[in-house]
Amino acid sequence: MTPASTAVVDLVNIWKRFPGVIANAGASLQIKTGSIHAVLGENGAGKSTLMNVLSGVYRHDEGQVLIDGEAHHFRSPSDALNAGIGMVHQEFRLVPSFTVAENVVLGASDRLVRRTAVEKEVGELAERFGLATDPSRPIWQLSMGERQRVEILKALWRNARILILDEPTAVLTPSEADELGRVLRTMADDGRSIIFISHKLHEVTGFCDEATVLRGGKTVAASLQVADTNAHELAGLMVGSSPIISERPPARQAGEILLEIKNLEAQSDRSLPVLHGLSLQVRSGEIVGIAGVSGNGQREMAQVVAGLRPATAGSVSIAGQEVTATPPAARFKAGLGYVPEDRLGVGLAPRLTVTENAILRNYRSLRRGPFLDNDQADEHCQDLVERFGVKTGPMHEPIAGLSGGNLQRLLVGRELSGGPKVLVAAQPTRGLDVKGVKAIQDLLIAERDAGVAVLLVSEDLDELFTLSDRLLVIHDGQIVGEFNPETAQRHQVGAAMAGEVVTQ
Amino acid sequence: MTRLVLVRREQVLKGGQPLAFLIGLVFAMLIGVVLLLISGHDPLAIYGRMVEASLGSPRAWSITLNRAVPLGLAGLAVAVAGSMGLWNIGAEGQILAGAMMAAWVARLGEGWASPLLITAMLVAAVVGGALLASGPAVARAQIGVNEIITTLMLNEVALRLLQWLIHGSWKDPESHGFPLAPMLPDEARLPGLFERAHWGVVIALGVIALFGLVASRTSWGYELRVAGSSGATARYAGISLKRKITTVLILSGGIAGLAGGIELSGNADRITEGISAGYGFAGIIVAALALLRPSGVAAVALLFGAVQVGGLSIQTMGVSSSVSTILQAFILFGAIGAGVFSRYAVRRVKNDKTDNQS
Repeated sequence: MTPASTAVVDLVNIWKRFPGVIANAGASLQIKTGSIHAVLGENGAGKSTLMNVLSGVYRHDEGQVLIDGEAHHFRSPSDALNAGIGMVHQEFRLVPSFTVAENVVLGASDRLVRRTAVEKEVGELAERFGLATDPSRPIWQLSMGERQRVEILKALWRNARILILDEPTAVLTPSEADELGRVLRTMADDGRSIIFISHKLHEVTGFCDEATVLRGGKTVAASLQVADTNAHELAGLMVGSSPIISERPPARQAGEILLEIKNLEAQSDRSLPVLHGLSLQVRSGEIVGIAGVSGNGQREMAQVVAGLRPATAGSVSIAGQEVTATPPAARFKAGLGYVPEDRLGVGLAPRLTVTENAILRNYRSLRRGPFLDNDQADEHCQDLVERFGVKTGPMHEPIAGLSGGNLQRLLVGRELSGGPKVLVAAQPTRGLDVKGVKAIQDLLIAERDAGVAVLLVSEDLDELFTLSDRLLVIHDGQIVGEFNPETAQRHQVGAAMAGEVVTQ
Repeated sequence: MTRLVLVRREQVLKGGQPLAFLIGLVFAMLIGVVLLLISGHDPLAIYGRMVEASLGSPRAWSITLNRAVPLGLAGLAVAVAGSMGLWNIGAEGQILAGAMMAAWVARLGEGWASPLLITAMLVAAVVGGALLASGPAVARAQIGVNEIITTLMLNEVALRLLQWLIHGSWKDPESHGFPLAPMLPDEARLPGLFERAHWGVVIALGVIALFGLVASRTSWGYELRVAGSSGATARYAGISLKRKITTVLILSGGIAGLAGGIELSGNADRITEGISAGYGFAGIIVAALALLRPSGVAAVALLFGAVQVGGLSIQTMGVSSSVSTILQAFILFGAIGAGVFSRYAVRRVKNDKTDNQS
């Protein structure tokens, strides 16, 4: 069987390396004409890189890009567009003060723009695909969903036969997302091929024909027929396995409740509700793992607990003290340690020195009169470096020169040095090498044994199974399942992550 | 085939900025040579005169130092805001506001003892600059209004207010109808230091040094560095960004206002529309060249003072003082251009088809 006869897009064994990172390590993807094809994978799985290769933003190091069976080497997005590939980016690229029609034809028309004629043509194109929009309205008046339609129109106007949509539903309300599904089907029926990138499994099963799953830069499941699979199989494929490093620590008797979240609600960066009455408790001496497909509210939950995102309803208590409306410093005082998902830029300030970053939590107590006591600061930094095995250059050099593992050791060490009662760690081992992962996992276990209540948010299911005393599954902003990691099966957790109601 | 590409250095070249500054200076002077030759002057004679007039004698030094005072304070004002990633483009207006407040106090305080009057004037000048900056500060901190726009526009407001005063209630009845404010009383004049230099030089140096100390050694300065490096990290550490933005912009305005007060009390006979001579805008260049560091601000201000004084001196030789403005601009261009190389290294690479730059 020669797949080239039916595949409009055939990416074969694509490799793409960046300094220090391999983004694609032999990824493959085949798209059939007239189908909607989902590309799935966790953050960092290599989806965006692969799409950027296909759309001409990056050039691949190895492998083949075949369009209609013919090899291409795109040098720019316009090369790709000439071959019929259009990309609808997650961040819209529209001129707010221009009208819909002006944005659609911008850069794609070499004749003078005659307003009425162009508006009529754009209107006809929109109608043909059911993309309800008024071509004469300026962009700034439109909702996010309408703006996205304009982006799709731009690609259609340029005769794209292959449309790539990068997490198109992230900015949409649920009803807008359903509407988008209908539009995509219309386009597929018209003979166009759609590549649909998403984290939301019910959308994939809802309106895609096939799915390809990437993990660690490789294709782990190619062109699955959506009709033959289900959401929890897909979830299981996405959050694959990494080598289990740390030994599962013996369970301990959990103590009093130190972190309590009740009926928490909050909004995403785009002001859409993202937590829907989330409740959980973490006791002294236990690690509670949070499993979930990314984008289901785990990031926002950690931020609300740390005081970096306001709660719109519900409450957060640390060691019996309600902190829902307090600023971050008060939570630190109440006994919270927080390892944020974004190490550099939130947890650490990239342009500051190692010492300056080391004292971020306790500089208020390192004073001599109005002055900061530099000797004490250096001492504190030296202490962290030694206790947590941070490999660092001069302590008065900017921190940006440290490796990822050492940055994380410094960050985790700093959060632990204050003797927290509660530790919230979001993706603490993501992107670290094997040694770094082990070091951080061991620290978490040691803290648990010392009586700290640890809330661990991770995309690595194996890590969660190994470290957690209790495993909670988050889906659509709620805790939808609780598992005992010693007895639970992976597929049960996968089903819960996909939003299927399960009982253990 | 090979070509040259810029590659980011792992660490910024040590001593790169002073070197870049020097390259900028040489670059600017070469451009100046071309300009002077085109306009039919002898570049060597002109440059000789500029150096002589600005640095050639104690008297020349005193004039240059006086000139460096408002440049340094305006530069510090911009640098203070810049260290938090804020751009105070309104130092010019804040200088005017400071001068106006000082002039107002001088009118009220007729007959006060000189030290008291001068102190009151300078405090009022700080308050004036701070007041003008407080609107943009609060708007930026509370609802995120871009401070570049608001501070820039208030320059115009301050200038019109000053014109209105000079043409209106502050007009000297003995000025024969000219829109001039009355002369300042002798008690309102800053005492001299040496030759033409006045005590403002000491005050400015003191303020710059004090801020340098506060920025580098106190926990307030530490918080400022954290917030300037990453707003998200500051929030994470429990530093209130709103409060920081407000205080820093108001402080910046106050420093620029002080420059206006010193200029009035030290250099001017009376308050005029032209009391600032563009110091507020030059301050932006000074701060940029000093990489927003207080120590650098003092050094760059001194050099710019010399270039400006030199530029004024060659007018008698038939050369437009615009020459000095052009020189200042090219120093900035040259230094910024050369500064790139302290952060990037030039590498020769082979051009082959499969290169994968993105």
